[in-house]
Amino acid sequence: MQLNPGPGGLRTALAAATSCLLGGSAAALEATSPWEVDARLLYYGERDRVSLVEGAAQVTWDRGDDRRLGATIIFDALTGSSPNGAIPTTRAQTFTSPSGRGTYVTPANEQPLDTSFHDRRIAVGLTGVQPLGETLRLSWGLRGSSEFDYTSLGAEAGLERDFNLRNTTLSLGLAYNLDTSKPVGGVPLAGAFIPAFPGRKLVDGTSDGKSVLDLQLGLTQVLTARSLVRTNLVVGLESGYLNDPYKLVSVVDPLTGELDANPDRRYRAEARPDSRLRWAWYTAWQQGLREADVVRLSYRLYSDDWGMVSNTVDAFYRWQFTSRQFLEPHLRGYLQSAADFYRTSLPSNQWPAEVSADYRLADMWTSTVGLTWGIDLGPRSELRLGAEWYHQKADPSEVIGVQSRQTLIEAVDATMVRLGYALQW
Amino acid sequence: MPSNGDLSGDSCTWSGTGLVTARFAAMASPCELLFDDATPAAVRALGEAMRAEAARIEATWSRYRPDSQLARINRAAGGGAVTVDDETAQLLDYADTCFRLSGGLFDPTCGVLRRIWRFDAATGEPPDQAAVDALLPLIGWQRVSWRRPAITLPAGMELDLGGLGKEYAVDRCLGLARAAGMVHVLVNFGGDLAVAGPRADGGPWQVGCWDDLAGDPAGGPRWELRSGAIATSGSTRRFLMHRGRRYGHILDPRRGRPVEDAPLSVSVAAPTCSQAGLLSTLAMLQGAGAEAFLRAQGVRFRCLRDGGAESAG
Repeated sequence: MQLNPGPGGLRTALAAATSCLLGGSAAALEATSPWEVDARLLYYGERDRVSLVEGAAQVTWDRGDDRRLGATIIFDALTGSSPNGAIPTTRAQTFTSPSGRGTYVTPANEQPLDTSFHDRRIAVGLTGVQPLGETLRLSWGLRGSSEFDYTSLGAEAGLERDFNLRNTTLSLGLAYNLDTSKPVGGVPLAGAFIPAFPGRKLVDGTSDGKSVLDLQLGLTQVLTARSLVRTNLVVGLESGYLNDPYKLVSVVDPLTGELDANPDRRYRAEARPDSRLRWAWYTAWQQGLREADVVRLSYRLYSDDWGMVSNTVDAFYRWQFTSRQFLEPHLRGYLQSAADFYRTSLPSNQWPAEVSADYRLADMWTSTVGLTWGIDLGPRSELRLGAEWYHQKADPSEVIGVQSRQTLIEAVDATMVRLGYALQW
Repeated sequence: MPSNGDLSGDSCTWSGTGLVTARFAAMASPCELLFDDATPAAVRALGEAMRAEAARIEATWSRYRPDSQLARINRAAGGGAVTVDDETAQLLDYADTCFRLSGGLFDPTCGVLRRIWRFDAATGEPPDQAAVDALLPLIGWQRVSWRRPAITLPAGMELDLGGLGKEYAVDRCLGLARAAGMVHVLVNFGGDLAVAGPRADGGPWQVGCWDDLAGDPAGGPRWELRSGAIATSGSTRRFLMHRGRRYGHILDPRRGRPVEDAPLSVSVAAPTCSQAGLLSTLAMLQGAGAEAFLRAQGVRFRCLRDGGAESAG
């Protein structure tokens, strides 16, 4: 018996299969519906910073025999303010807005935020699955998104093959994305000083692009009728313009840590490498418990040639507390190490070729606690309502002189609320 | 459903008061319904419905009946896909799960081997290896295309749900009794049995195993059963003796031959008869490893081997 991992494993699996045979599962008797619509609404809000409202709808057409077609449309609106990368100081700071036509002022001892942050994005996608013979499937996808300063086009294709009496599935996928960035006020010249208003930043054209190639190798193994493991390895190569055009780096006195005395030499545009080779290894284990409970645990290890390493642990428990309702608590922990070129501020006597003060590249940990409630509103419709609370803490790379009196990187607290509805007909 | 049977008939005999027994033949087996604390008049309608259910299951999935769902699928082998009804689809899904869970040891396509292996006489010739080799390519559920509700059988292959049908009938009949609100009921189809609950006095049912071998129905080991089911797989009755060697009727689908070192008989207790039946069949297919397999499953079992060696867990 190759599929008998522990005492009673087969017995448990058989019990589930038998209850299905003897009509214990009403779902098994339902004829499947060829159309499914999934609609969801997401609110994400960081305290005192950005908030995002996103609506998404997906239609899937199951054409039978493992053939599926899907179409997705997503719309989101982002408003609020986002850190511009500069450090807080004991004096108020005046920044030139990205367009170069005006200024905004950050009060003393506050994290500089670019308040002009607002955007709307629309994204569409098409996906399909098509069998190629008994145990081989082809999947494909096309997607595009557009916002006023950014467009993205992508395509992907994958092959899945079943082995070992369909208990093992191997997959191979390739995805390619081509993005174009057209920042307000032009593409800042990487690493250049941004002079005080009304001086204009040096620009390197009006738009720039990057390409992203991802190769994914996946393995799914059914352990018993109620448990499986999934693991995959993704290797990706990004190349081209990888900067955030709106992020600055504060230039400070190497001893005192104060902003440079010369107002035209206080901030520099960030300068990241023009390529990034990354890989990630992901493993998830899922086990059915009791009647319809499910526990899911996953781990992800990420590393790239920017020197970043991250670890993510996720745990879910789906508790089916009545035949129609479930509660799903969720916990996630995330820990990352900083990119080699991350500098919270840059001493004026240093001229590294690559530098960024984007806190997303800093040493950081985050934790998420969430709870989702779901209810069957009939045999073919389901409503889900979930909330997540997110806490993020990043550490500066270096604290120089007077900077010790500041909180250089403020912690972020965010709340997410999700409402989802799925309907089959 | 093993054969069209010499026991088939329309008669059903009722006896007893207090413990009412109905006896009839179905699926080539003697069948028995026991109703405790009942009168024949009170349970006759239910008993008839249970008997009709057993007959329906036999008629629908016996491979020997030309009008059965199974015969329809088998006739189309090598041709196109056959669309099946929901209940057949559930049985096929179940068979598919059993196949995968057992790593292919339980295979609903191995019925073709009955063309060469005949276990209806205690003596006879085992088939030629060449004949076995010729049939092996026709075995393998993985070669069957099954996508609800369509099934396509390659040419020459046959499906046989006999390994599941009798136990399924026991579970279905017990479901009828439960639906009628009857608790003190035992359903026994040819030794595969299940109870809806304890006897009327709250005590267990006394159930014998492999009594036919001992020749003394009262003398064999007995189990007490308050709920759940017991199924027995074995070759105590159906086997072939050749040159002093005993060939049991449980065939290994991978080799096309009886399982070597298989126990004479395995009885397993489980919550449903379908589960018990599959576990006992899979235990037989483990050959020498039957007892270890059953212990690993953590189920109650009895295992009987040549020479009377017996183990239980």
